[in-house]
This record gives sequence, C-alpha cells and structure tokens, in this order.
Amino acid sequence: MSGAQPVIVLDKVCKNFGAFRALINVSLSVSKGEKLVVCGPSGSGKSTMIRCINRLEEHDGGHIIVNGHELTKDSRNIDAVRREVGMVFQNFNLFPHLTVIKNLMLAPRLVRHKNKDEARAVAMKYLERVRIPNQADKYPSQLSGGQQQRVAIARALCMNPEIMLFDEPTSALDPEMIAEVLDVMTDLARDGMTMVCVTHEMGFARSVADKIVFMDAGEIVEAATPEAFFTKPQTERARQFLSQILAH
Amino acid sequence: MTLDPQLILDSLPLIAQGLGITLKLLLYSALFGIGLAIITLVMRISGRWYLSWPAQVYIYFFRGTPILVQIFIIYYGLPQFGFIRGSILWPILREPFACCVIALGLNSGAYVSEILRGGVLGVDKGLTEAGKALGLSSPQRFIYITAPIAIRLSLPAYSNEFISTLKATALASTVTLMDVTGVARTLVSQTYAPYEIFIAAAILYLAFAWISYVALAWLEARASRYVKKGN
Amino acid sequence: MADLAAWGDDYLLGTLVVLKVFVVALIMAVIFGLIGAAARLSRNRIVSGLAKIYVVAFRGAPEIIILLIFYFGIAVSLTALVQYFDPATKFVDIPPFWAGSAAIGLIVGAYMTETFRGAFLGVDHGQVESAYALGLSKFQTFFHVRVPQMWRLALPNFGNHMLSIMKDTALISVIGLEEITFVAQMATSVTRQPFTMYMTVALIYLAITTLITFGVAALEKYANRHLRGAR
Ligand SMILES: Nc1ncnc2c1ncn2[C@@H]1O[C@H](COP(=O)(O)OP(=O)(O)OP(=O)(O)O)[C@@H](O)[C@H]1O
Ligand SMILES: [Mg+2]
Repeated sequence: MSGAQPVIVLDKVCKNFGAFRALINVSLSVSKGEKLVVCGPSGSGKSTMIRCINRLEEHDGGHIIVNGHELTKDSRNIDAVRREVGMVFQNFNLFPHLTVIKNLMLAPRLVRHKNKDEARAVAMKYLERVRIPNQADKYPSQLSGGQQQRVAIARALCMNPEIMLFDEPTSALDPEMIAEVLDVMTDLARDGMTMVCVTHEMGFARSVADKIVFMDAGEIVEAATPEAFFTKPQTERARQFLSQILAH
Repeated sequence: MTLDPQLILDSLPLIAQGLGITLKLLLYSALFGIGLAIITLVMRISGRWYLSWPAQVYIYFFRGTPILVQIFIIYYGLPQFGFIRGSILWPILREPFACCVIALGLNSGAYVSEILRGGVLGVDKGLTEAGKALGLSSPQRFIYITAPIAIRLSLPAYSNEFISTLKATALASTVTLMDVTGVARTLVSQTYAPYEIFIAAAILYLAFAWISYVALAWLEARASRYVKKGN
Repeated sequence: MADLAAWGDDYLLGTLVVLKVFVVALIMAVIFGLIGAAARLSRNRIVSGLAKIYVVAFRGAPEIIILLIFYFGIAVSLTALVQYFDPATKFVDIPPFWAGSAAIGLIVGAYMTETFRGAFLGVDHGQVESAYALGLSKFQTFFHVRVPQMWRLALPNFGNHMLSIMKDTALISVIGLEEITFVAQMATSVTRQPFTMYMTVALIYLAITTLITFGVAALEKYANRHLRGAR
C-alpha cells in the first residue's frame, strides 16, 4: 500500500457542530485500490469523517484532497469530487418516486449527459452485477432491505466512481440480508475499487480491509492492519470496543 | 315555516347560470395561486434575505386578513391612486372579475406556498444527500428529487385549500359578480324564498366540492403508487 | 390621515364588535365541536351519521351562503311565526350580531368536530388501558389521562380555527353589522379614500390574528413542556 499514490488525504481535519468538536485533527491517507475500514463507538465521528470526504459536511480546519482536488468552497472541485466518489448510506436513500432502473439512470443522464439507451445499458449492467436484474421496474418500497441496499450500490457504481464510500451499509438490515450486501462489497473490493467503509462487520473487515482505523470521541485512536488490530490492539479504548463488538 | 323542496329543485337550473363564472373564478384563481405559490416558495427557501423577507411578508399579510377585505382593497381600494387609474393595468383592475381572481389568487398563493414548503420540509434529507453524493446540482436535486416528492406530500392539504378557494369564490358576489351566490342573492331579493334558494346554491357548492375532493384524492392515489401499502 | 383619524372612534367600536362576535362564536364553536365530536364517536349509527352530515355540509358550503341562510332564513321563519299570532306584524328583524355569531359558530364547530374527534382518537389506547390497569375509574381516566393529552393534540388545529373565526367576522358586514369592514364602507363613501379605509381594516385584523397566533404558540409551548429536551 505504501508507495502507491494516495487518492484520499485528510490532513489535520477538524469539524465542529457549534461548540461540539466532532472531528479533532483527523489525518489519514488512502491509496489507490486500498480498502479502509473505519470503526468505533456510536457518536465517535465516523459518519462525520466519511461525509467530509465528499463534502456532505464541510470541515472547519485542515485539508482534504480527493483524487487531486482539494475540497474548498470552490464548487468546481466539489462537483469533480462528487462525480468521482460514490457513496452508500446506512438507510439506502433510494429515490422512492423512481423505479429501480430510473434510480440508476438519473445521475448518469443528468450529470454525465448520457442518452437514455446508454444510461439504461449501464444501469442493467450494474443491476446484474448486484444480482437483481429482474427487479428493474419495481419501486424501491417493493424490495427487501438487502435488495434496496444492493440497488443503492449499483446506483453509485453507475457513475463509474474511482472511490466508494460506505457508511454502515448493513446496519439497517436483518441478519439474513447482511450477507448478500457484504458479498457484493467483497466482489467490488476484489475488482480493485478504492473503498472506505464504516462498518462493524468484523468478519468483512478481517477478510477485505487493508487497514483499519479506530475512532473515538472525534479522534483517530488507532490505525493498523486487521491482524494487528484484532490480535493486539494498542489502546485500552480499542480493547474495550473490540470486546463489546465481539461479544455479540 | 315550511321548506318547499319543489322550489329548491326549480331554482337549481336558475342558479346554475352562475356556475360558469364560479368555475372560471375558481380555475383562474387556483392556477394563479399555484404560480404565485411556487415563486414565493422559491423566494422563501432561496436563503437570501432580500428574497425571503418579501415572501414572508406577503404570506403573513394574506394569511392574517379576511379574504373579503382583500377583495375590497383590490377592487375598491386601488383606484384611490391616480397612477393606478392611469396605468396600463387599469382596464384589468377596473373589472370585478379580474380583481376577484387577483385577490383569490394572492390569497390562495400564500396558503399554497406554505403547504408546498411543508412538503419540501417533509422530504427526507437523506434523499437530497444521495443526490449530492451522485453529483446532481442543486437545481437538479430540487427538480428531480425534492419537487416530485414534495408535491405528493402536499396534495392532501392542497385538496382542502382548493375547496377553500371554491368557497371563497362566493365572495365575488359582494363586488357585483353574478356567480352562483350572486345569482342566488338576486333571486332571493325577487322571490323572498331565502331557504330554498340559498340551500339550492349550497347544494351546488357541495356537489362541486365533492367532485374536487374525489378528483384530488384520485390524483393523490396515482402520485402515491410507489408508496408501500400499509406501511 | 386626518380623514382616518376622524373615523377613529368608529373603528374602535367596530373592533369591539368584532371581538364580541369572536368570543360568542368561539364559545358556540367549541360547544358545537364537542357535541359534534361526541356524536361522531357515538356507536349509534344515526347519531354519528347526522354528525357526519353536519360536518360535510358546514365545511363544504361557502361561509357567506350559510350566513345568508341564517340571517334571511331565520328572519322569514320568525316573521311567519309572529304573524301567526299577530297578523299585523310586517317583518321581524334578526339582530345580525346573533345571526352572524351563530352561523360562524356552527361553521367552525364543524371543523372543531373533526379536530376534537381526531384528538380523542389520537390518544394512544395503551394510555387508557394502563390507567384502567392502575385502577383509575372511567371518569378519572377521561379527565386525568385523556383530556390532558387531547388538548395538546388539538391545540394546533384549534389555533387555526380561532383564526378562521376571526377572519370570518368580516363577513357579517354583508348583513349590516357595524363592525370594521362596515365602518370602512361608510367611511369610504364620505372620504373617497377606499384604500386607506380598507387597509386600516386589514391591519386591525392582522394585529388581532398576530396576537392569536402568539397566544396559541405560547399555549402550545406550555402544553408540550414535558416533551422538551426529548428528541
Ligand atoms: N448535524 C449535526 N449537528 C450537531 N451535531 C451533530 C450533527 N451531526 C453529528 N453530530 C454529532 O457529532 C457526533 C459524531 O456523529 P457521527 O454521526 O459522525 O457519529 P458516528 O460515529 O457515525 O456514530 P454512529 O455509529 O451512531 O453512526 C455525535 O455526537 C453527533 O451527535
Ligand atoms: Mg454514523
């Protein structure tokens, strides 16, 4: 991983909500093709951090550079980053008024100015990839949670992103649906996608992640390989967190 | 006192002569109101004080005062000013029909823009975030994501507002228009059978309110096709 | 301005009339609303059916028509009645104050019916069951568990109904009650300043509706005090 070109760099990033410090000097870099898993207790700032990467949140201090674009107020850079970075949310956020296929076609048509046929072809390709090509004309509300999340992943992939962000993609799902989503994510990882995943699926982290970042109270407390993190965590906070997570 | 059902039936076709004006008033005011509501909404959520302030003052004034007074201000009040009598709008502002459409439209616009705002606020924030993450611009997010959902969320309240506008058209009779109420009032002054004639008029309005209600409920059902049943 | 000042006393008296109509109509509306809600919730099909007709008719027909039915209709009926005993009578005049207040009270009572009913049904049944389980009587449950929660649910709509009553008072000028819109009509015919006169009316209404809005907001804050801090 070291030596490869970093595609995401966070340098002493700070973020406050009013007086509350949600991120404190968070520094981190992700290189091309790397898979980063972020974990930590609830409220530790994981979502805030990942949302800063495509500027759903604005950071207050430090620098964020994604694919060579520094995120500032400059809207051209924001647009560029959002075109190159896909995101998958905990609660799917599929557009309820559009069918599955139209959910997938919307951004390619509006942002990439593809014509209808091109957009549809790309959409079908990714629906097949997430293994639900036969649900194309249904509305999101007619799908199971696992299917919805796979549609959301396909929707992000349709923009041909170089980086994918996942914010707890399986934590709103019933246990039997978690596996189908993790399988799709594992496939994606195998194909070389650069990924940042907030997740507590430690099995997934162990098998897919190149690096694990543990956050607590707005800070990165530990960053290590999965083996190192799981076998000998360096801090008491990480040990506690792991014993809680693994107890379940 | 005896109520004469035959008289009610007989007066229905007479009163129905006013239906054309009532419906025209309703249609024009409703359309004008929707147009104003959209402009006002965009001004309100623009985030710029010099746009959102006037929008708020407009809404505050028209929601806080009686429609009858609004009609009187526009029809009787505006000609107080010489520049209005001299303006190119004078041929319009001189007409009671146009004044009623303006007053009812302004009134309904204020309410509808609040209804639409409620719809916009009701759209899950996660959806616009998903739009952002996909790289949609802010106008694209509004047109393709927020607006369609907000419109569906607004339809039930809009249905009530539409019926309110229908009822408000009856006030046009106070500025000499011969709508359903105007015709009914004239008939009453001729026949002195207020119960029968006003009840006949009320029946017409009720029938029309019911039709509007059913039509808008159908529209809402269509717009909600994608919403999961029983959930 | 000098013209307006000359009419100051009339506006003041007119405002008092408006406030009196408001209070009387509000009391009536609450009474009709409570009766209506009780009837709507009744297991007796006929009673609940009648209440339903009341709600549909008074919410669907234009306010002005209902007002005219009340004013002219009751006058005609009463005249007929009095003439039966005393054939010399020409015409019995109904005080517009009472005809107007009653009409508005009935109209808004129909809206209140639905609000009260919704609030009654809106109280979680588990609340009632746990009160019974704790050994509270039906009566105690109603007053200590149901009513306090009901009024919190009903308040926002109740506030809107109060605003409706206030704005509907302007209609009574149509039947000749000397409230502020009527005063403005008089003043206009003398001063030829219709805009000034009607705008004054609008601003008086705006002031009163603003007060009502603030009052209701304060009440809501009080009613929801136990929810503060919870998210
Ligand atoms: N918009 C906001 N306004 C105020 N505070 C916020 C906002 N968003 C997040 N926070 C606060 O910032 C802190 C970090 O939130 P964040 O959502 O990043 O946590 P998280 O690690 O993702 O937690 P979880 O595992 O529960 O999703 C929390 O204490 C939260 O209350
Ligand atoms: Mg989170």
